[in-house]
Amino acid sequence: MDQNIGVYLCSGCGIGEAIDFDALSGVAEESGVAKIYAHACMCGAEGSKVIRDDISSGAVNCVVLGACSGRVKSEIFAFDPMQTIIERVNLREHVAWCQPAGHEDTQAMAEDYVRMGIVRVQKSTLPTPYLEALDKTVLVVGGGSAGMQAALDAAKAGYSVKLVEKEPELGGHMAKWHKCLPLHPPYHEIEDIELSLTIQEIESYPNIEIFKNSTIEKISGAPGMFDVALNNGGATHRVGSIVLAAGWKPYDATKLGNLGFQKIPDVVTNVQIEEMAKAGSLTCPSDGKVPSVVGFIQCAGSRDPDHLPYCSAVCCRVSLKQAMYFKEQNEETKVIVFYKDMRTPEQAEEFYKQVQKAGVIFVKTDTSKISVNEGSELKISVETIDELLGEPIQMEVDMLVLATGMQPTVLDDPILNLEYRQGPALPALKYGFPDSHFVCFPYETRRTGIYTAGCVRQPMTCTRSKNDGTGAALKAIQCVELTSQGKAVHPRAGDLSYPNLFIQRCTQCKRCTEECPFGMYNEDIKGTPLPHPTRCRRCAICMGSCPERIISFNNYSVDMIGSMIKSISVPDEYEEKPRIIGLICENDAFPAVDMVGLNKLQYPPWVRFIPLRCLGSINLVWIADALSKGVDGIVLFGCKFGDDYQCHFIQGSELADTRMSKIKETLDRLVLESDRIRLEQISIDDYYRIPQILEEFTARLEELGPNPYKGF
Amino acid sequence: METRIPFLEVSDAIVMSGAETLYWCMQCGLCTGSCPWRLVPGEASEQFNVRLVQRMGQLGIEGFESENCLFACTTCRTCVDRCPRGVDIIGNIQGMRSMLAEVGTIPGSLKPIVGSLHSQGNPWSGPREKRTEWTEGLSIPTFSEDTEYFLFVCCTSCYDIRSRNIAKSVVKALRTAGISFGIIGAEESCCGESIRKVGDEALFQKLAESNISLYNGKGVKKIIVTSPHCLYTFKNEYPDLGGKWEVYHYTEVLADAIKSGKIKPSGDAAGRVALHDPCYLGRHNDIYDQPRELIESLPGAELCELSRNRKNSLCCGGGGGRVWMETKAGERFAELRISEALDAGANILATACPYCITMLEDSCNVMGKSDQLKVMDLSELLAEKL
Amino acid sequence: MGDEDQKILVVGGGISGITAAVEAAETGANVVIVERNPYLGGRVAQLNQYFPKLCPPTCGLEINFRRIKNNPKISFFTQTEILSISGKPGDYSVEIRVNPRYVNDNCTACGKCAEVCETTVPNQINYGMDSAKAAYLPHQMAYPFKYVIDSGIIGTDEAVKCAQACPYNAIDLEMKPETLNIQVGAIVWATGWDPYEAEKIDYLGFGRLPNVLTSVMFERLAAINGPTAGKMVRPSDGKEIKSVAFVQCAGSRDENHLAYCSGVCCLASLKQSTYIRERVPDSKAFIYYIDIRAMGKYEDFYTKVKQDENLSLIKSKIARITEDKESGGLLVEGEDVSAGSKVSQVVDLVVLAIGMQPGTSKIKPNLEMNYDDFGFVTGSGTSGIIPTGCVKAPMEVAASLQDATSAALKAIQVAVRR
Repeated sequence: MDQNIGVYLCSGCGIGEAIDFDALSGVAEESGVAKIYAHACMCGAEGSKVIRDDISSGAVNCVVLGACSGRVKSEIFAFDPMQTIIERVNLREHVAWCQPAGHEDTQAMAEDYVRMGIVRVQKSTLPTPYLEALDKTVLVVGGGSAGMQAALDAAKAGYSVKLVEKEPELGGHMAKWHKCLPLHPPYHEIEDIELSLTIQEIESYPNIEIFKNSTIEKISGAPGMFDVALNNGGATHRVGSIVLAAGWKPYDATKLGNLGFQKIPDVVTNVQIEEMAKAGSLTCPSDGKVPSVVGFIQCAGSRDPDHLPYCSAVCCRVSLKQAMYFKEQNEETKVIVFYKDMRTPEQAEEFYKQVQKAGVIFVKTDTSKISVNEGSELKISVETIDELLGEPIQMEVDMLVLATGMQPTVLDDPILNLEYRQGPALPALKYGFPDSHFVCFPYETRRTGIYTAGCVRQPMTCTRSKNDGTGAALKAIQCVELTSQGKAVHPRAGDLSYPNLFIQRCTQCKRCTEECPFGMYNEDIKGTPLPHPTRCRRCAICMGSCPERIISFNNYSVDMIGSMIKSISVPDEYEEKPRIIGLICENDAFPAVDMVGLNKLQYPPWVRFIPLRCLGSINLVWIADALSKGVDGIVLFGCKFGDDYQCHFIQGSELADTRMSKIKETLDRLVLESDRIRLEQISIDDYYRIPQILEEFTARLEELGPNPYKGF
Repeated sequence: METRIPFLEVSDAIVMSGAETLYWCMQCGLCTGSCPWRLVPGEASEQFNVRLVQRMGQLGIEGFESENCLFACTTCRTCVDRCPRGVDIIGNIQGMRSMLAEVGTIPGSLKPIVGSLHSQGNPWSGPREKRTEWTEGLSIPTFSEDTEYFLFVCCTSCYDIRSRNIAKSVVKALRTAGISFGIIGAEESCCGESIRKVGDEALFQKLAESNISLYNGKGVKKIIVTSPHCLYTFKNEYPDLGGKWEVYHYTEVLADAIKSGKIKPSGDAAGRVALHDPCYLGRHNDIYDQPRELIESLPGAELCELSRNRKNSLCCGGGGGRVWMETKAGERFAELRISEALDAGANILATACPYCITMLEDSCNVMGKSDQLKVMDLSELLAEKL
Repeated sequence: MGDEDQKILVVGGGISGITAAVEAAETGANVVIVERNPYLGGRVAQLNQYFPKLCPPTCGLEINFRRIKNNPKISFFTQTEILSISGKPGDYSVEIRVNPRYVNDNCTACGKCAEVCETTVPNQINYGMDSAKAAYLPHQMAYPFKYVIDSGIIGTDEAVKCAQACPYNAIDLEMKPETLNIQVGAIVWATGWDPYEAEKIDYLGFGRLPNVLTSVMFERLAAINGPTAGKMVRPSDGKEIKSVAFVQCAGSRDENHLAYCSGVCCLASLKQSTYIRERVPDSKAFIYYIDIRAMGKYEDFYTKVKQDENLSLIKSKIARITEDKESGGLLVEGEDVSAGSKVSQVVDLVVLAIGMQPGTSKIKPNLEMNYDDFGFVTGSGTSGIIPTGCVKAPMEVAASLQDATSAALKAIQVAVRR
């Protein structure tokens, strides 16, 4: 495409008062653009029409719009991305609203932003979407509550589904349970499990293909083109996306010897109780007699740093349900529940109340410290401190039920057996649960096109699992729809760009294949990266990682940002005007800088912000380029990292931090102080900190003196 | 700490004795926090924790039986109204007391009361035949088929010299209003409300049966009572035993009479009158407006609300049998009430319950405030202006 | 999915509604959102931070707003209410009323109108804890990023003054409510929740004692764009807050108020205790609870927060809050259940952890939806109306998002012809 660049400058909203537009136009002229046009209100009918007319007449196919932040008025400046390149130069929030009007430093800032905007467009090309991954079948792994619902709902939306279940029958845990929690108002009664109708519906649904007794040998490929090999041999199955609903397994009760498990025969788990109840009678394993007094120990191995530190969310409700099994079997049976906190959220509080009314006794205690021994009158003696009484108590029971928690099945079995360079399993965040974007985007995993549902994702009730299956099915469908159009999925949904590798120059350093948070790259035996574009989330972390600078996007590249940096005017050392480059995350830091302007806060005029897709896309060469050009300091704004990371690409800001620690070597070689580079973790609402950070940084740079490379 | 061994058979027995909602309790402690005993110092305050008492009941563990623990509860109903689980806490306390009463282990101070109720039909050790002594010179009609209302005067106002003035004042007001009423006389027995709360269920049943057959035999249809305690039991407990009448507290009847113009109080200005809402009139029977209407009808009366009023009213300390037990000066709720009335700038503290009068007046005297504050029954206040 | 498909209407532009809308639209459906407020984001736009990551809700909202801006398949109406719905699954006719903003699309959010406006109105986003100008941007990150003229000044000289100050002809004082009819195939009902009316719990003093706040108000007090710009000061006298008592189950798990558990309040109070503990280093926080309900992996958050030695967790249901004359603070009383002793704690501020009531608790729309006794929607049969989020049950943000995502698929099943 031959670029015809039009530079459109808006002087509204105070921009005209702050900046000399003749001089600003002059900057654009120097770049030899096709058209320069200024208006007092570009977003108004008249101004925006000029741009649209220029585009439709063919006079302009690249728009550099110097006006407000790209975050606003986007509906007016939206043009066909396949035809037109647009770059928004933020003269309002990032210049006019945060710098003194009419000052030469304000002017210099505006001019640099226009230069950078033009360079950015010059270094962009129109997208060529990746249109080779077209399969829209959804693979559902696991035929329990979540998986069955996912399969059914995807099928009902018109998609072909392949459902893989390792057991001979569908139904998962629920098929082995006696009854379920109250589902209907007034939430007082436990209810029968209605499973057969669902199974029947799935088994007769036209576009659901079921594979029972099946496990996954291997999944290769990428969204829109996964190839799935099952254990039964035969041909591979091509699918577009995957719902992993492989469920949970009970915590290993053999680790709970302290609570008498396997030491005293009548100490059983909540899972055993379901099985007994389903079989028809709740009796003591030792003698087959109906127990007269039954104890439940909540959090058996849960909320306990020595076992599972988390709460399995359902065990309180399950024990209430099982207490009612005993009461239904014989009203006279005494039931005592030893608990840490009764966790019956939402309407389940009504059920708790109902179980209390049935005469079940609740003892609040630290259940990890309960002492369980052989009893004297009844079979089992339980001794603990009743926190409600404030004294130790000793009670005897015939049967003791351990309310054990849930662990994800993927804890020690990858299940999906992904043929991915980074391993066969979905990466887990903690405790084995595959997770990534909690809180805001709970379905996102670190493997594009693979979504988790039900208790493999987090402990939850059966009702919620079903609902979760529906949600994951939506994500799976969304993925195949976007992928088939060559578009990225969350968080850059709709992005048509994807990484191109100039593979001839690859040195097989494997940084890209290791660092991609989404496992986009496989490797050949030599270590050459094999990109799978539909796995890509377009964060460009790989681009940042590559020392050979061979990874680029049509509208984002190492050369582009490097050239933008080079286009910035760097005052010489005698002017005593330091120059700071700010490489900032476009997701959070960029809007935060907008907020600085909106609040009319001021910061030193020496800084030039360049938004990055993710701070993780930062390439060390930019730092070297900037410093060798005489830039005095570089400030990096990325999202918070660590356990509670806020990075939309999970590890971007953390990887940037790691890279920065490595840049020290480069600085040493250049004999430059490491303080010239500063990384700050900035949340979107941290805008009020930004002026202070920049002032402190400027002060530090003044102490260090000008970059000695100025003028080289 | 010694390990305690719960006896679930004991808790079963407590439930059987009437603590039907014992297991409903989730032990949040709102009852204990809301309990008026938290407002005063002393042994009962330290020993009586209504949440813990119920906990012991749930587990069948002993240690709650003393006068200053289980028997401290005045059944004021603050906790019941607030209880998030709808637990009938008074019922549970009553059930636990009842279990003790069955085996005769009630506090010693209550024994003469029980004796008097058994032998004389009143708790004040007054001879049965002197029940109508207060009527001397008043020529009060005897209830007959032609009488509209049976006036049931609380035992306290029959026998207690101070309290008799309440009965007399009620009579005066009813007469002024032209209301047809009569008493039955010495055959009347104590309503039994408080002794039931104390836990002597058998005695209550005996008293109730005697009253029910007496009143039914006389053709009673409508009753006016002088005490909210009698109101409570006649209205809420007797119907199950066969006593089904329309029952009114005198404030209800008199407020109506004022509204319809049958009574027109006149005379000197009544001054600043604070109202103490009796627990059994307010929280137990939901009567809050009529007492206020009575005060507002008085010439020159200014109703000054106490800081704790209506459903947040503070108990006088006399319910649940406490009127028969000794609470040390300095530890009485009534003392707080007197201070509140003084803080509100009242010169009269009015109420409408003989127990409240007894408790409040006693504290007012002990505190040496009787020159600043006069404790009066609403009936007395009204009768003065007729 | 193509243009012949029926639209999906999403009623409610809070986090559930937004999520249902963008998830459906990114799957290919056409979606229209109807929102009552002049901005999208609902309750979460009023939160300072999310638990457990203590991250700003605006971060996720920003991404979601970007998804809306970039997606031509989503349109929305703000300040709009539903008048009627008729029809059947796949074919609903919905009458809506768009109330006037008095500001049109010319608005650049330059702020000139607010500069001249002198009239103030209670600031809705801050629960009336401060006042805002009658020409206002709902909040800094509001979307749409347009000013609003409060209808209260329409017809006054003040409104004219604002209009004249606008350089872009963006203020249109002649705007009238507009009734529109839209045809949709499916409806997602995401009208969210309302905070419980704390003044109904009279023994806790809300409404009488200025230093008793609700949990939602405390979020605003902690917010950098809140009434005190994030400064922790007592409403009564502006003194720095050194101690805060969090009263759990304020009206929740209580038959006299809300019998159910709102599920999020324990975690919210744990989170809010970090607000005061971080801002005021030597401060103390007290959480009075019945049971701490930190479900699932939220337990980690509980474990982490309770490490703080200046945070006390006391098993108690607070029974009385009164003014402490001496300190100007509040006396918090109840029973310490585990200790069997009395709670008697003087603090500067009390935060009542109030529960969530479904948006359908008071007015139940005359639609094919079933409700439980609390007003939560329990189902909608085979109708094309899909309830989601806190109208179904109290939910934290992550659960709402999960639920909204599933609602998007159910709506697609109804509306999209394949």
